[in-house]
Amino acid sequence: MLWFEREVVGALTESPEQSLRSSVEAFVDGSLRDMPEHLRLGVAGESVLLGAWVAGLRKAGRLPADDPHALVALLESWETSPVGVLRSYVRMLKSLVVFAENELAPAGAA
Amino acid sequence: MADLATDVLVVGSGAGGAISAAALAAAGRTVTVLEEGPWVDADALEPFSLDEMVAKYRHHGLAAALGSPAIAYAEGRCVGGSTEINSGLYHRLPDHLADEWRTSYGIEEFFPDALARYAERVEHELSVASMPGAPPPSSAALERGATKLGWRNVEFARVFSYDQNGRGTKQTMSRTMLPKAAAAGATIIPDCRVLRLLRRGDRIVGARCRRTHPGGGVERLTVTADHVFVCGGAVHTPALLQRSGIWRNVGNGLKMHPTIKIAARFPHPVDHGDVPTHRITEFSPFVAIGGSASRKGHVAMALADTGAPFHQALADWENISVYYAAIRSDGSGRVAALPGVRSPLVTYSLTEADVSRLARGLVHLGELLLAAGATELHPSVVGGAVVRRPDELGGWWDQVTRARANLMTVHLTSTVRMGENRARTGADSFGRVWGFRNLRVNDGALIPDAPGVNPQAAIMAIATRNCDHFLAEQ
Repeated sequence: MLWFEREVVGALTESPEQSLRSSVEAFVDGSLRDMPEHLRLGVAGESVLLGAWVAGLRKAGRLPADDPHALVALLESWETSPVGVLRSYVRMLKSLVVFAENELAPAGAA
Repeated sequence: MADLATDVLVVGSGAGGAISAAALAAAGRTVTVLEEGPWVDADALEPFSLDEMVAKYRHHGLAAALGSPAIAYAEGRCVGGSTEINSGLYHRLPDHLADEWRTSYGIEEFFPDALARYAERVEHELSVASMPGAPPPSSAALERGATKLGWRNVEFARVFSYDQNGRGTKQTMSRTMLPKAAAAGATIIPDCRVLRLLRRGDRIVGARCRRTHPGGGVERLTVTADHVFVCGGAVHTPALLQRSGIWRNVGNGLKMHPTIKIAARFPHPVDHGDVPTHRITEFSPFVAIGGSASRKGHVAMALADTGAPFHQALADWENISVYYAAIRSDGSGRVAALPGVRSPLVTYSLTEADVSRLARGLVHLGELLLAAGATELHPSVVGGAVVRRPDELGGWWDQVTRARANLMTVHLTSTVRMGENRARTGADSFGRVWGFRNLRVNDGALIPDAPGVNPQAAIMAIATRNCDHFLAEQ
């Protein structure tokens, strides 16, 4: 998993519980590794470009660094972007995180 | 490099491959089945769980047909193929489709009564049965809503065996036809990917494979065979043929049932361990309505599809179940093997009529669920309005667009269509690939079009029929 993907997964994972966060990250990592190569290549390319874009925003002071809520808000805006690959990027990672977090959480956990 | 020789080589162990292996081994043929995925104990993992997804699904379930929009799809990759991961619903091919396809594609001996005889054989061998007793709440909701609206509905039979207490066991291929094949002498080799078929003139003489051993070691394996049945499913059958240099009418014409979903909240708890068995047939064959897997992860994922905060709703997840509307699409797609790349490129183009049909399906599904007593509906549409009253459903007509709809499918067919019309088909009426004397396809790739119902029963009946024809011909 690339560094920006790890940051996105971390921002989308809501539980503060470290072992659950690690399990979610491991599941997403495994899923990305197992994707069809051409899809993985496209996702990796997007991760590099979007990561650079986010780094640029932070450097320009337009996105607070180390604030996962700010990154989540940015991701939510991408989810309805007119650019199809951007929408798909966010929806895919969000689906993986949401599914894994809810399946891996111990029964009865909020 | 190891070598094996066999009379019949079957590539793939899902519905088509397992039935072929069992039929041919029972007839005294020496059969070898190569399965790319692992052997997984059918009882070891909870159905539809994350662990099952990791162990049995190809790409962890993370594959998509590219297009506008991309459509996620899921396939099994284990001994038994997709029969290990599906809901086991069973619906014979509608008679009118057999008639239509026989005429359009020139399929010989493809009459409804003949197919019904093969279906009966399959049903007898696999213990196809209806669920005993009252339906679970998620399924009863479909029946209740349909009854209230005066819509036709049916409780589907399943490829399940039920004990005296009503406990069902899915009759997957790893529990049924593959053990039968093995008992008749077939050899089943898991973790063995067929890289390409070996050609000599108009014959296939074998296959070059890559086998992974449990310890992680890898070996090249060459299997020589007198006859080859390729049964890798509608994506991987054409990909293998293409990797082997066979392209004529192979990989084009992909069909599927694009599916849109609703997470429906009820004022009472619903079941989450299985899928509903009722289906709404009022709008068949173009729109089918039914229920999906609804574990907590699925409910959360469905709620998240609107893009709006969903945690308040998720707190009540035990009252929520996920339902779908699936369409018979006018669009089509392609499967293309890419040089040097393991996975084929899959594309699919929805038509404008398809998008409209999806919107119609979503609205009808909403009507039904509200009539069934649901109090809140979350559509799988980004920015889609959460609906609580019938008069709010109309808003969805404009919200289901290519940019906003989250679509998926589990039914893929038609990439090596069967029939005597050579301009439209990749194989003859019984699955023999054009231009080859001993190469056959025997899976969902042969089905000429999306049937509008779960295709498993049609795949099984057609595979049985084609094996009978093969044996009679020899």
